[in-house]
Amino acid sequence: MKPFNLIIIALICIAAGLVAPATAGTADVVVTSSTIDPPVLMKGDVGTLTVEIMNNGAEPVAIRNARLYGSGVVALSDAYPSVGDIGAGTTKTFTFTIRADGGEGTFYPPFVLDFQNGGALRYPVPVQVEDTPLTASIVGKPDAFTEGRRGDVTIRVGNPRPNTASGVQVIPQGTGFSATPSSAFIGALTADAAGTAVFNLTPEDETDVTFRVLWRNGINTHAIDVTLPVTFGEDKRQADLFVTNVEVTPEAGGYRIVGDVMNAGLESARSVLIRPGAPATPTDPFRVYVVGTLDPDDAAPFEVTFRAERDATTIPVVVEYRDDDGNRYTGTTTVDLSGTVTVSAGESDEGIPIAGIAIAVLIAIGIIGAIYYSWRRK
Amino acid sequence: MNTGLLRVLIDPGRFFEDRMQDEPGLKMPALIVLIYAIISAVAAALMVNVIIDILPAEAQAFAVFGIAIAVVGALIMGFLTWIVVAAVLHIISMLFKGEGAFTRTLEFTGYAFLPQAIGGIIGAAFSYRIISGLTIPVVTDPEQIIMVTEALAEMIAADPLTQIASLVGILFVLWSANILIFGMKHARNLSTRDAVLTVGIPVALYIAYILITLLGLIP
Repeated sequence: MKPFNLIIIALICIAAGLVAPATAGTADVVVTSSTIDPPVLMKGDVGTLTVEIMNNGAEPVAIRNARLYGSGVVALSDAYPSVGDIGAGTTKTFTFTIRADGGEGTFYPPFVLDFQNGGALRYPVPVQVEDTPLTASIVGKPDAFTEGRRGDVTIRVGNPRPNTASGVQVIPQGTGFSATPSSAFIGALTADAAGTAVFNLTPEDETDVTFRVLWRNGINTHAIDVTLPVTFGEDKRQADLFVTNVEVTPEAGGYRIVGDVMNAGLESARSVLIRPGAPATPTDPFRVYVVGTLDPDDAAPFEVTFRAERDATTIPVVVEYRDDDGNRYTGTTTVDLSGTVTVSAGESDEGIPIAGIAIAVLIAIGIIGAIYYSWRRK
Repeated sequence: MNTGLLRVLIDPGRFFEDRMQDEPGLKMPALIVLIYAIISAVAAALMVNVIIDILPAEAQAFAVFGIAIAVVGALIMGFLTWIVVAAVLHIISMLFKGEGAFTRTLEFTGYAFLPQAIGGIIGAAFSYRIISGLTIPVVTDPEQIIMVTEALAEMIAADPLTQIASLVGILFVLWSANILIFGMKHARNLSTRDAVLTVGIPVALYIAYILITLLGLIP
């Protein structure tokens, strides 16, 4: 063989040796997995897409770049412009920040690997977008709200989404009320799970209370509101006090009212006080009568003493009590005085008559002096 | 010191000693008792006026009639009291072998009403103060009139000023008693001890009665 032929053969063998492994390796690179956080996006959510590839071949493969394409779901992060080699039997992950810009549904943005030898790997990654929010409902509230009276309100939050919602919390918002706690943390709600939050609500005015439910889908914060209109009404269970069996007796300086007070409600009345109201002036010994706690269907006797103007024909008997939360309630019963008459002293006549005592002392001194003088002169 | 009638208040011993030099005269004692009776009548009229105020307008036409009865009654009671007191003292003094005409006892007892006249003015002032502070309703029912009258009596009795007025009244009684001791000593020619006993026994009983009433021991 001629030397020239040997050189040609040698060059061909060298060239073949250089090209042959690369050509065989591109087929061995495969996408082994793709993950999205959060697994299901909502419209406008930002998430992370991670794609893992593996070189199943015996030789390393040179990769030029990696990109994510697609509409509906767009990549916010840049492509990988220069990836380099992926060794035989090794894996490599690519992470992209994506945003769901389209509507609901499942989108397939393609993941593309460009190899150094001009070949490419194209892999459509499924991305699910579902806009269903959490649900919130009021499952418990008082029969009626009363100004200043505390009532329990229970909010139930449910997760109809296919993925877990994290950091779920409920915050009451608005004016004209106070709530305890000021916010309630439920935490993570898995798919189809529900959690509850209980608030002690004390309204000061008629208002709308908005319970805002906040949660996170991945790094995206979402909120829904549920509104509770607060209008004042009569509590069907509250204590209801009646004054009965009233007997008015005139006595020196005023009147004495004896009667019974009865609780016709379904709750106990606490710190029950009974006193005569204006224009009557309470007098000793029973300016005010303290009954104490009056349970439902219980009755207690009372008596009050007071003075009234000469032309007074009726006076109010005021009944005060508190509920279990300490809220004060006042009721009035009008008592007729026209059938009774009495004599009453003026306001200025109360207390010790200092002037009268002084006059008496002066008179005593004068008389004792006169008597002493008369015996001295005897 | 000679200041006329007022001498009986502070120097009754000398006053009665001087009076014993003259014949018994009842004009001045009667005048003193009359003044005392008039003051009592005014106080009584004041009280009756209050009670009349309870009555309805048509019944108040009888107010003058009621007041007139009260005034006349008080005048009569004033003189009756004078005579009764003089008689009681005269009788008691007999136990101590007192000597002297009843006219003299009556005369000197009349002078002893002078502190009562002064006390009557002060008592009337106290009564007016007590009554003016009361609010008394107008009633039409006879039962209510009784009810209000009872309440009025309770109110007046319970008033601290009433108690003070009673104590002041006792002071004036003591003053009158002091004058009576000297009066009875001269009128009935008693020793000082016997005069004190003659006057002191009935006066002590009277004061005891007032105090017991004041303390509520007698309803």
